[in-house]
Amino acid sequence: MNIARIRALAGRIIRQLLRDKRTLALLFIAPLVVMSLLYLVLTNTSSVHTLALVLPTGIESDRVNALIDKLLPGQDKLKTINISTNAIDSTLNNGDADAAIVFPPDFTQQLAQGQKPHVQIVLEGSDPTVASAMYDASNALVHQLGVAIAAIRTQELQGGQGTPPFISNDIPFTIDGPRYLHGGPQYTFNDSLAPVFIGVFSFFFVFVLTSVAFLRERSQGTIERVIVSPLTHAELVMGYVCGFVLFAFVQSLLILLFIILVLRVHYSGNLALVFLVSALLTIGSVNLGIFLSTFAHNEFQIVQFVPLVLGIQVFLSGIFWPIAQLPAALRPISYILPLTYANDALRGVMLKNSNIGDISVQLTALLIFALLMIVLSSLTMRRQIA
Amino acid sequence: MTEALPDTQQGESISAPMQGMPMVVIAQLVKQFGKLRAVDNLSMTINAGETYGLIGPNGSGKTTLIRMLVGLMKPTSGTISIMGEHVPSPKIAPHIGYMTQLSALYLDLTAKENMQFFCRIYGLHGKEQNQRISEMLERVELADRANDVVGTFSGGMKQRLSLACALVHHPRLAFLDEPTVGVDPELRRSFWDYFEQLNNEGVTLIVSTHHLDEASRCTRLGLMRSGKLLAQDTPHELLRRSGKENMEDAFLYFARQQEAQK
Repeated sequence: MNIARIRALAGRIIRQLLRDKRTLALLFIAPLVVMSLLYLVLTNTSSVHTLALVLPTGIESDRVNALIDKLLPGQDKLKTINISTNAIDSTLNNGDADAAIVFPPDFTQQLAQGQKPHVQIVLEGSDPTVASAMYDASNALVHQLGVAIAAIRTQELQGGQGTPPFISNDIPFTIDGPRYLHGGPQYTFNDSLAPVFIGVFSFFFVFVLTSVAFLRERSQGTIERVIVSPLTHAELVMGYVCGFVLFAFVQSLLILLFIILVLRVHYSGNLALVFLVSALLTIGSVNLGIFLSTFAHNEFQIVQFVPLVLGIQVFLSGIFWPIAQLPAALRPISYILPLTYANDALRGVMLKNSNIGDISVQLTALLIFALLMIVLSSLTMRRQIA
Repeated sequence: MTEALPDTQQGESISAPMQGMPMVVIAQLVKQFGKLRAVDNLSMTINAGETYGLIGPNGSGKTTLIRMLVGLMKPTSGTISIMGEHVPSPKIAPHIGYMTQLSALYLDLTAKENMQFFCRIYGLHGKEQNQRISEMLERVELADRANDVVGTFSGGMKQRLSLACALVHHPRLAFLDEPTVGVDPELRRSFWDYFEQLNNEGVTLIVSTHHLDEASRCTRLGLMRSGKLLAQDTPHELLRRSGKENMEDAFLYFARQQEAQK
């Protein structure tokens, strides 16, 4: 391997792409447009939802209820009704409310005795978008309440004099839930659709760009010059990978920033791991592109590979529907798709702050995919010139 | 007798034959495409410092032969050795120049960027690279278009740039497949003057052409027809042996001889 030659090739690919402004725009802007559209379609924020409250009824409950009342006006587009414990399911089923927060009757007593009472969030759940929004709203409300109670208790312990030495952020009760009346924790944009876009877009664009670039090398005849030169097959593949990895990284970063800053999706994770997943996927994608370009005679035939390569993955890699919910016959296919593992890894890193150990299985699978594609692309390299 | 070549490939050095010694040795070379025998039992030796002209009509097997010589195609049978190495060999790659029939260029890059790329994969960097690029662009009369995108070039201009790219790294042996197609007569002459100059510097050239008037500028000719070598000699000798005035008549003479042998 000669680094200077790999750099020469990678440099050429970067220069060619930078010159193609339309492709650049597609590469960097299209993902953002698609994500914005999906976001608007999947999170319908226009309607008003109703939250049912089952308030505590025991001794000294008034203080807590007053606190809840004070917190409520801060909630946007949220109506509240008070119901009793036995009316929860019927209220939700009737559509009078979309979610309920259930306090035990003796909530205040339990707090006073230093026990941790359980607060339950119940979601109607038939519309995953609403369920997700209501869960976020209820959760926020209960958390605010918890912080407020904790602050009051700290003050009381100090006898109400001066500033407390510390304000405990520990919420003095347990939040159970959510319990779903229908459905379950569905995949919604907010929690788990956003991270997978990094994988899907970089895989798709790198695949299309590599196969077209390689096809052009073949039809222009430049591949013959390159093969006659001292550049080896391995260097050729490496050069292509290095050139396209750069664009995949820039794209991933853009998508990431867009998710965090514009769509305001919760993100906790290690950026280096996101790039590691993106890099492994790019290596596989470049080589798949080289491999499949061997079987195409023109750009139109490359386009024909797109539904085959991308369509299947969009449906079966767990982007919209969890793999566990797929028909048993389709599940084995899911497990041979690279995006299945990339999606898992990206969700883990970005939503659950997984470390490299947590996603080692997914990383290994992506590595195997990359190596397999390298083997395939080298095997067909001979055919590229003949 | 050999001379050491500069070491462009890490650790792999190779010696080029001295002037007049065998550079390319081809023995019983056959290439079969299904029923078609594109190259038929061809044996020839090309010496260092020669301009060897492969002359023949379209479909006579010139391009197939060249593609096998540069290692792009595997012969069905027979052997090729270049600078004493069996083809294909990574050792000889840095010293070979190859100009394809198609002007193989990156259309979205400028003339200069195309040349930079080929320089860099042959290990030519920095000042030497810049110097060499301007020298070659001057030579093919494209210096004023150096920073223009190749996609805007005419066929002849692409052909000229293609030649410049093939020779930019000082190859010891260059395969030029129809280098003068689409090049105007004046520039064609200047190409051949340049080939002669390269020859004098010890560069071996293998040039295929179907312009028979270019044949006289080669040191030796191989006349090819239907994959076979009709005759091989200096232009002067070929004319003398056939008793003809020009190369076209001579070619037809040898072609008729081949028919008669069947």
